[in-house]
Amino acid sequence: MVWIMPSRWGIYVPIPTYTQRNGLLLAIGEKKEENVDCRHLTTGSSGLAGQARSQLNRMLAGRLRRARKISKLKNRFISLLYNRSTVFNFLIILVSVFGQIPIGFALAYILFRRIVRYEGFFQTMTYLPNTISTIVIGVMFQSFFSPYGAFTQLGKMIDPAFENTLMLNPNMAMIPVLLVILWMYTGYYMIIFLANMQKIDQSVIEACRIDGANEFQTLRYLILPALSGVIVTTAILAISGSLKSFDLIFAMTAGNPARRTSVLSLYMFDNAFRGAPDYPLANAISTFMVVLSFLLIIVVRAVEKRFGGRE
Amino acid sequence: MAGENNMGREIRHKGGAALVYRFIMYIVFGIITFLTIYPLLWLVLSSLKTTQAFQMDRLGLPNPIFLKNYPLAWKIGHFDILFSNSVFYTVTTTIAVLVFSFAASFAFAKIPSRFTGFLHGSFIIGILLTLQSIMVPLFLMTNAVGLYNTRLGILIPYIGIGLPMGIYLGTEYIKSIPDALIESARIEGAGYLRIFFSIIAPMTKPVAMTLAIISFTGIWNEFMLINILASKEAIKSLPVGILKFSGALATDYGKQFAALSIGMAPMLAFYALFHKQITQGVSAGAVKG
Repeated sequence: MVWIMPSRWGIYVPIPTYTQRNGLLLAIGEKKEENVDCRHLTTGSSGLAGQARSQLNRMLAGRLRRARKISKLKNRFISLLYNRSTVFNFLIILVSVFGQIPIGFALAYILFRRIVRYEGFFQTMTYLPNTISTIVIGVMFQSFFSPYGAFTQLGKMIDPAFENTLMLNPNMAMIPVLLVILWMYTGYYMIIFLANMQKIDQSVIEACRIDGANEFQTLRYLILPALSGVIVTTAILAISGSLKSFDLIFAMTAGNPARRTSVLSLYMFDNAFRGAPDYPLANAISTFMVVLSFLLIIVVRAVEKRFGGRE
Repeated sequence: MAGENNMGREIRHKGGAALVYRFIMYIVFGIITFLTIYPLLWLVLSSLKTTQAFQMDRLGLPNPIFLKNYPLAWKIGHFDILFSNSVFYTVTTTIAVLVFSFAASFAFAKIPSRFTGFLHGSFIIGILLTLQSIMVPLFLMTNAVGLYNTRLGILIPYIGIGLPMGIYLGTEYIKSIPDALIESARIEGAGYLRIFFSIIAPMTKPVAMTLAIISFTGIWNEFMLINILASKEAIKSLPVGILKFSGALATDYGKQFAALSIGMAPMLAFYALFHKQITQGVSAGAVKG
């Protein structure tokens, strides 16, 4: 278990600890060193008695200062792992890895096997949302899903008593955000998969079919193994991309309602650039993000070693 | 993964009824195309209504077509400033990244020295660096040297962020240019500068195109950095300016949608022109992982 504690110079030192209630914590200490004003403690400075007294007072003041610092450190612990931003960030990672990548792969495979024609057109259409500014998309969907937007009217067409509280209800607001993330980035993974599928030698696939392999067997024993490296790459891209997600959520919900759609980078931004700046906390959050992304990438690599890569 | 199972199920059906199967796939892609187009179409159609007309009917066609939203949004949003700023940042950064990264790549690939490995590695590690992890230090440093709220203070980080990818792609490409070409140019008496501009630069056109597109689309849509480094209206770029329409002007839907359409249009036009190169650039850039 790791706590991160600030040292005297505002550098965060990880301290392994274990707490039963909170599990893994990342603790944040004081904002900055506060100088305790000790001038009022010295009353006189002339003569031997005065000198002795001032020396004693300086000692006392030093001890006081240390005592205050320790009490401050103890008081400000914030868990980053049980934070709402972390929870939602993990949801985004799950949607990216288990939503965007499989759907992107399936779509790319359909286009690759020429089951559907007009490949260029469909490829262009699926990738289209990626090219538009995320801010435009965020503001657009904010209006689309808002109680005054098109979604309300679409719902009323199906059920006249429909009340749209999608963006106001803390338990529901995650859904539109995750849908938009799925909508936006699936085409990106499709393009990557399609480009790499096209590198596979067509004659190998034909040989496979002549030898009697059906469509499923071709996919399972030829295409998937050949693309296992690409799948790992896209998983890494999805994880690091999800941890970085900021613009879309900033424009669409700004983390509201009730911080349920906040992500780590938004939490970091709020601490660093909104209201009174708390740079140490912001830096601790970004350090946490970097560590998390490295850990997840190691996990992905381990999974690949265990299950994939049979070429 | 989940997709594998779905694929398998769908494909086993194919043996019996290939036509039905093909038809279903067309419907799937039809739905995806519709889902992509519909929100954008809804946005453009709604921008042609007055705010009152939008509140009455949020889905239907605009009747009558109201075009005044566009000039009003253009004026309120100061789009002339935003556009010229965005073009300035994007073009300057793209050119600077191309020139600097190819010059560095040439040195890394063709002029060996004791420090090549270390220097090259120290640039490449930047690909792994996330913008979030340097945001606070960058902001404080920009403030400390007095570049906060200046165009230069935005350009320098932009170029710095673009360099690692540029140097990575450039070095890999220039390494594949045969040494004999450079040797013969040296024998003819050409200096490094001459070799770079007359031999290397023309040969790197394909990778330059990829890099230019990655840089262009990236900087045009960049928001996070410029949002913290610019607070003056005069140096903001398009994405930062558009955000204004979601805050104070959020209830004036007509103008909001017009502003979003204006913000969306250049990138859609760019995509329509270069969609082949963009998709190629994406898959080339993703291989880095």
